[in-house]
This record gives sequence, structure tokens and C-alpha cells, in this order.
Amino acid sequence: MKKMLMTALILGSALAPAYAGSGPIKIVLPEEADLLEPCMATRSNIGRIIMENVSETLTELDVRGKKGVMPRLAEKWEQTQDGSWRFHLRQGVKFSNGTTFDAKDVKHSFDRVMSDKNACESRRYFGGMKISANVVDPYTIDFKADPAQPILPLLMSLVTIVPEETPLAFIREPIGTGPYALKNWTPGQQIVLAARSDYWGAKPQVTEATYLFRSDPSVRAAMVKAGEADLSPSISQLDATDPKTDFSYLDSETVYLRLDHNIQPLNDVRVRKALNLAIDRQAFIGTLVPDGAVLATALVPPTTQGWNPDVKVFPYDPAGAKKLLAEAKAAGVKVDTPITLIARTANFPNVTEIMEAVQSQLQEVGFKVDLKFVEVAEHESYYSKPFKEGRGPIIVAAMHDNSKGDPSFTMFFKYASQGTQSGFTDPKVDDLIKRASAAVGDERAKLWSQLIAYLHDDVVADALLFHMVGFSRVSPRIEFKPTIATNSMLQLSEIGIK
Amino acid sequence: MLSFIRKRSVASLISLVGLLVLVFFLSRLTGDPAALFLPVEASAEMKQQFRELHGLNDPLMVQFGRYVGDVVTGNLGESLRKARPALGVVTEAFVWTLWLAVITMSLVTAAAIVVGSLAAFRSGGFFDRLSSIISLVGASVPDFWLAIVAIVVFSVNLAWLPTSGTGSILHWILPIAVLFVRPFGIIVQVVRGSMIGALSSAYVKTARAKGVKAGPIIFIHALRNAMLPVITVIGDQAASLLNGAVVIETIFGFPGVGKLMIDSILQRDFNVVLAAILVTALAIFLMNLLIDLAYALLDPRIRH
Amino acid sequence: MTVSTPDTTITHEPPFPVRMARMLWADKFALCAVIFLLVIIVLALVGPSWLGELATKQNLRGRNLAPFDWSREWVWWMGADALGRPLLARIIVATQNTIMVAAGAVILSSITGTLLGLVAGFSSPRIGQVIMRLADVIMSFPSLLIAVIVLYLLGSSILNLVAVLSITRIPVYLRTTRAEVLEIRERMFVQAARVMGASQNRILFRHILPVVFPTLTTLATLDFAYVMLAESALSFLGIGIQPPAITWGLMISQGRQYLTNAWWLSFWPGLAIIMTTLSLNLLSNWLRIALDPVQRWRLEMKGRKNG
Repeated sequence: MKKMLMTALILGSALAPAYAGSGPIKIVLPEEADLLEPCMATRSNIGRIIMENVSETLTELDVRGKKGVMPRLAEKWEQTQDGSWRFHLRQGVKFSNGTTFDAKDVKHSFDRVMSDKNACESRRYFGGMKISANVVDPYTIDFKADPAQPILPLLMSLVTIVPEETPLAFIREPIGTGPYALKNWTPGQQIVLAARSDYWGAKPQVTEATYLFRSDPSVRAAMVKAGEADLSPSISQLDATDPKTDFSYLDSETVYLRLDHNIQPLNDVRVRKALNLAIDRQAFIGTLVPDGAVLATALVPPTTQGWNPDVKVFPYDPAGAKKLLAEAKAAGVKVDTPITLIARTANFPNVTEIMEAVQSQLQEVGFKVDLKFVEVAEHESYYSKPFKEGRGPIIVAAMHDNSKGDPSFTMFFKYASQGTQSGFTDPKVDDLIKRASAAVGDERAKLWSQLIAYLHDDVVADALLFHMVGFSRVSPRIEFKPTIATNSMLQLSEIGIK
Repeated sequence: MLSFIRKRSVASLISLVGLLVLVFFLSRLTGDPAALFLPVEASAEMKQQFRELHGLNDPLMVQFGRYVGDVVTGNLGESLRKARPALGVVTEAFVWTLWLAVITMSLVTAAAIVVGSLAAFRSGGFFDRLSSIISLVGASVPDFWLAIVAIVVFSVNLAWLPTSGTGSILHWILPIAVLFVRPFGIIVQVVRGSMIGALSSAYVKTARAKGVKAGPIIFIHALRNAMLPVITVIGDQAASLLNGAVVIETIFGFPGVGKLMIDSILQRDFNVVLAAILVTALAIFLMNLLIDLAYALLDPRIRH
Repeated sequence: MTVSTPDTTITHEPPFPVRMARMLWADKFALCAVIFLLVIIVLALVGPSWLGELATKQNLRGRNLAPFDWSREWVWWMGADALGRPLLARIIVATQNTIMVAAGAVILSSITGTLLGLVAGFSSPRIGQVIMRLADVIMSFPSLLIAVIVLYLLGSSILNLVAVLSITRIPVYLRTTRAEVLEIRERMFVQAARVMGASQNRILFRHILPVVFPTLTTLATLDFAYVMLAESALSFLGIGIQPPAITWGLMISQGRQYLTNAWWLSFWPGLAIIMTTLSLNLLSNWLRIALDPVQRWRLEMKGRKNG
């Protein structure tokens, strides 16, 4: 309790100068939340509104510093002898409906996520494992996982806690322990959260938050400028012209070209390397991709555990690419086969132009590339397994988001033989993923680093492009710094009012 | 007249049912909602479970039978995305669309008939040229241009009007103004063309020759004759507004049925798509019925 | 203001083309329109082979180059797009696809719609009823849904794009034609023709179609603009025209996000659409007068006065 008070004090003093005010704010977001279901809060359009504002989690990841997993509704936790985890819960916490928070709520919340009576999205983080929750006493709960989960405390930052009485089916009025409660929701127009007077933690400066939804980025920027909103966490790079209000931030989204290694000529490592050498990544930065974006050497952003600083971006070397292609051709690889580059319309800013540029750079060194833009459902059918039989060589341009701090949320899906978006099979990759997922601490980081280097340098698994940046516009009357997690979570308690 | 309406209603009902059946089957050929509702990382089991939960695993005919059974009892199903009754979602949005369409089309009709007839009266003259150029530019200018420029000028720079959203009368001005331009351009041209034809028709000429001044009588006579194609085109434009003004709804954050329909189609939220088509189709059928009645009123010789 | 023009002595009438040319000369607006459309047609034919190379050559360092830099080569006078490609060259190259799609969709929908409308107005009430209700169905079928369905079942191609666009435009021609037919067929001269034993087809094509025609051409010319813009909205779905292929509509939508920073990206292709619509309309207005024996004197008079 004392520790919590201390952090609250420190947080409070860091955010707010002595004359700090309080009051309501308006936030304009690109996409409306179609649901306010706590177990769907891992989806960004929902999470941005309710995650840690209405619905809290046992733990939370420190995205502003390097403190790792921090306590929230759990005060502390430890791993017991048999590999299961014991969480000690905070006492004196009340839900917004007045009931008291205890271990039974945690168990129900977890079981609800795992239930087959609904389509809770958060369940995807627990694929391939068996977990059971056992209430020890009202403020202690054990999670037993098979196989053992070294990152279970991190996983618990994705499970929102609802009261025990919540039905299994989706609900429309979320009840949580967070600093805010849902006050009003007019579908298609606005959602209003109001600060609770009986919140267990520090009182936030924002007393009420109104969420508005506009899909056009220039309208969002205009609204903050015209004073109709105080904060737009995502505006277009082109509108971010005022250094006083507009800030860029690294947003955990990584753009890459997924290669299908099963089909000629992409089954040849020389061809894949040539493809990488042919792309002038640096030329995109500051032109089609905003300044501040980072060239990627892994599918996870640099803030992730085990990110490997020794892996170097492929240089732009068209001559080298041509040479590799010639070698492959001499060895009998059909390098002239037309390759289809699949991209999703409106997937990320400038996607059309970026893909057109990539296409022309690949053609420059001798690849035959057809560019095809498709809508989301069709894109998904190319991106995920099962892949179509009788397909030609395909490159899928995609964007992947991992702000969770650990590569396990990425590596299995994108690179393991069983991964739904994996374009190849490599026993060494499978082995490394398995061992890294089971390891802890430095060992874990080391194994992930090894995997990242192996994927990039030896397998040449894909063509990694950029870690993207987002732009936010913040009205001068409030204080807010976006983080790598702002895409998926926007904690109102971190917003100060001047 | 009454028997006409009765016959017509029956025929409309049959085509409405046909439309819904068509949409039901065709839309289900366009991909799997589970893949769109769940993130790409979701496992095959999760997707399977999702389909099970929403009855998407059953044979198409079984799904259809269930749907028909539900519809007969007045239940149009739940939205996959929003976890609430599809009909409620749609009617909520349609009210906004309806108001927007009715207000805009009334203004457009009034303005276009005045401008178009004046242009026709002195065709080839200065006013005719000017109104032609303005209306043609209006008919071919991309609506998002107008919308964004209007926001930058009137909301950001001049600060006269709110940028977007709903809440007060002021919020309606920009969307309606932008929405006004295209149908206005088209209908002015149709009125003008039709009026030129009517004014050069034999009996108007005779009336003019007899010395009846270019006054209201001629005007009204000619207008009445010219109205048939005009009404048809007004109906066509109104129908496209009733289907939702997508660009306007997107840019101005207007909670109408157009964006709802697009989102539901892209997300394969079939129940909402069907409910939306049902509601908008009812409105469009009804409007076409009114238009056909209007033909008969304008020209009693037309028999149905 | 009567039909007769007393000051004209009936002289030898010049041959048809000469007469048309004179009447065109008399209406300077129509003359400009014809010249503009001829240029467009020529560009549509030669554009891709003439400037295709130049229009796709990217230069990331020269992106969003401002227009009116006369010191550069002429293709750069309208500025450059987000990939540094010359806009003027791109507009010229895009003409072919644009005109193909727009003309294809407008011609297909207007002809189908008009024919169905004639049938609906002239045949038995039962068939008419069926056709009209079919039009209702099309009118209330969201065009986006048609597009998605076509995309999934048939795949994307220019032909499918034209089909989708024209299906959605059929009802307006159909309803317009039918409404006029219902009215006209009760008129005196049609009744007379019928009494005199004229065949159904003759009545349709000789007596009714000419009366409906002006309204239909007005609609069709306006639909050109509509189709060019709608096509870009559908390309969002991945149907039809996809980059690197270009149309004016696609260029407009690509320039959309630069509207407040680099207006020229979507302005020039927009202007091209407006100019084309304007020209088509001026031309059709002129044609209507020029081909109407009752009104032709206006142009002939003017031509004479202007010398």
C-alpha cells in the first residue's frame, strides 16, 4: 500500500506542475468502438477506450520506462515450485457497481475469456497452453499453466477483470475497477467516461473524457485545431506541421514483406537475399515514410526483450542483387517467374505509393513483379494459412503490431512451422522458438536474439521494412506524451491538464 | 387508384423478398466473417468456435431456414460486431440518413427547378451559360474535395461552423451544403433540357404567338410537361442518398446508414447488411411508388 | 419569335457536313468542346505508348514538386506526384483507361436501360411490372455489395469493373425512358401513327425514341463524371483499376490525403474530369439544337451574322 502511494505521488508530481488543474477533455479517434466488451480490450479500437480506464488488469507493462511488468490489481506475484504463479491481490478495491474486488472475480474473468460461449479476443494469447485458475483465499489466486509459462505475469496484463456476476455472453456496459466508469454511449456519435470518486488509486486530473470518432485524418487534426477536441492520438504525417501541438512517436507497427518460401523462385535463399538488397529502404524515410521511422531488422520493435542490436539492415546494393539473381539463374532457379506482390488498400499511410516504389525497385534489378491491391478479407486469405493450392510465387505486404514487450507474441505465428502466417518450415527456428518461450530472464533474451539473427541473416525469412511512427496532435491545454502502446491503450490518468 | 396501390404493393413485396434472398446467398459467398472478426493470430480452433457460436458452420440452407424463421417472428438477428439487434442498429442510423436525404432533396429540388427553368427560358443566354457551367462543375467535382475545403475554410480558418459531428443545427449546414452540389448540378441540367423541349412544343409556341406574356401561365404549363423526366431523376438522386452518403458520413462523422452498410459489408456482418438493405429498400420502393403516383397526377392520360 | 424566318430566301441548301461545320463555327462554346474532346480521344489513343515510360519513372527526391515551374520540361508543368512522377504525363497516360471505363459503363448502361425502358413502357403491363420491380431491386442493391460479390466470384478486371458500374446505373435510364414513353404514347401523333397501322417497332424508334433522346443524352453526359469518380471509390476494394495502372479517378483518390499540402495532386485530374464533362455536355446541347429541324435556325442565323 505504501509503495503504491509512493508511486502515485511520484506519478502525480511528474505529470502535474503545482498549479495543475482538472476538468473534462475530448478525444477524437479514427475508429469507433463497436463493442465495449472488456474481454475484447486487446483489440485496439476498444482497448484505447476502456483498457486501464474502465477495466483494469492484474499487471501492466511499463511502456514509459524500463520497469517491465508492474503491479496493478495484483500487488505482487511469485512463481511456486511446480511452475505455477501465485498472485497477491490488492485489497479495498471496488467495482463501479459497488461490489468488492476479490480472487473470485479474477477467476471468473479468466474463465470468461477462455469460455467457448463467446468470442473473446484475448483468448488468442493463451493458444497452445492449458491454464487453470485456483482461488486460494479472497486475495490470493494461483494460475497453473501447462506447459509452464515464464511470461504469465505479462500475459495477465491482457486479461481485464470483470465482476463475478458478469454473464459469459458479450455485454454492452462494462463494469470495472478502473478510475473511470461508462457514463453515456450514443452509438455512432460519442462515448463518455466519467471519473469515479471511489477509485482505489490516485485521483486523475481528467474528470470526464468524451470520445468522438472521425475516420478522416485531416478532420481529426482540424478538430484539435478548432478546439473541438483536445487530443487526437493519430493524425496524418502531412497534417503534423505544427511543432507546438504535433508529436511523432514510434508506434510498435512493423511493415514487412512476407515471403512464401514454398514456391519457386522464392524458395532460393539467393533470390530472397537479392530481394532484400534491391530495396532502397533509406530512400523511403522522410519521403513516403515519415522521418523518425526506423529501418527494421526484426518483426518486433527495438523496445522488445531480446531485440538484437547486432543484426544489420541489408544495404541497398542493386549490383549485388543482380549478381545473386544471375547466380540463382545459373543454378537453374526460375528467377523470371512473375511474382505477385499483394497489399491491402489503406493498410497504412501511403501504402499505395510505398508498394509502387518497392515494385519498381524490384523490377530495376530484374524481378518480374505484379502488384495487386485487395480488400481486407482477401488479404487475409493470402496472408494466413491454409494457403491456396496451385498458387504462384507470392509476396504479402503486411503490418504487424507487437507492443507487448516480448517476441513470443510474434515469433510463433509468423515463423514457426505451425504458425498461421509463416511462409516456411525450419526445424532450427521451431527449436529456438520453443526454447525461448520456455526460458526466463537473460537466457530468454539471448535465445530471442539468436532467433532474430538467424531469421534475418541465414534464413532470410522475409523482407523487413520499417518500424512505423505515428503522429498525435495535443491541444496546448493538456499534457500528454504518446508511447509505443498508444495505438492499443490510452490511459486517461496519464493526461495532465494545464 | 387503390387497386393500383394494392397490386403494386404485392409486386414490391415479392421483389423485396427476392432481393433479400439474393443478398443472403450471394453475400455468404464472399468470405468468412470469423477471419475478419478475430485477429490474424487467432488459431483455427478459435475461428471454428466462432463460427459454431454464430451458426456459420451449418449448411447454407439450414442457415437460410433459420433466418427465415427468425424474420417471420420479426427478429432480424444480431450484429456480429456490435452484439446487439441488427434492426436496432440500422433504424438508429437510418433516421439520420432519412432526415439528411429529405432536407437535402427538398432544397435541391426547389433550387434546381428555379435555376433550370430560368436557364431554359433564355437558352444560350448569359444566365444559361453561367448556370450550365456552375451546375456541370458541381456534378463532376469530387465530394471529398468540397467537404475538406469547406471544413478548412468555414471551420478552421473562419471558425463559423463546427468541423463535424452532430449536436446542433449548425452541425447540419456543412454536410447538407456539400451534399447539395452534385444532385443540384444534375437536376438543373435535366430541368433545363426538359424545359427547352417543353417551351418549344407546339402549344406553348401557339400561346406565345397569341401574345400571352412570358408569364406564369406558360411557365407552369411548360413546367408541368417537363416534370416527368425531372421527377425520375430526382428519384434516382434521392435513392442514392437513401442508400447513404458515404463520403459525407465518413468525413463529417455523421452517423448515417451509408457508412454502416459499407463497414458491415467489409466486415461480413451479414445480419446488419440484410437489415440495412431491408430498411433502405423499403424506403426506395415506397419512394418509387410515390413517383409513379406523381406521374399520374401530372399527366392524367398515363394509365397504370 | 416564330418558326419562320422571313429574311432567308430559300436558296440551295449546302451538303450536310458543311452545314454542320457552319453551325459548329457559330457556337464557339461547342467548337471548343469538340476540339477538347478530339484532343482527349487522340491522347487516349497515343498516350500510353507516347509517355508511358516517363509517367511511371519514379523519383523520390522530386516528390510533390510544385506546378508552374516553366524552366523544366513541359511534362512537369503540372508538378509531380507523391512518387515524383510528372502529373501532366500521368494524366495523359491515364486518359485511355479512364475513357475506356467511363465510355464502356455509360454506353452499356444507357443502351440497356433505354431498351428495357422502351419495352417496359410499350409492352403488356405484366412485363412492364416485372421490369420495373427489377429496377427497384437494382436501385436498392448497394453498389459496393455488387462490387464485393463480383470481386469474389469473378475476380477483378476492367470488364468486371465496367459491368459493376453499368449495372448500378441502369435504373435511371430505364425509369426515365419508361416515364416518357407512357406519356408520349398517349400523344396525338403516336396515336395517329398507330391508327395508320405503323408497326410497334416503327413507333418506338421513329416516334418515341427521338423525344426521349435529349433527356437521355443529358443524363449520359453527366454520368460520365459520376462513373469516373465512382470508379476510384471501387478501386479501394481492389476491383478494376489498380496501381500502377492509372485513371483520373484513381489519381484523385491518391491525391486526397495531400489536399491541404499539395493540392495539385488531385486538382489536375479533377479538372480533367470537369472539362470532359463540360465539353460533352456543351456538345450534346449543341447537337440537340443542330439536329432539331425546328430549332436549327438559331445556329444558322448566328453563323450568318458572325460572318
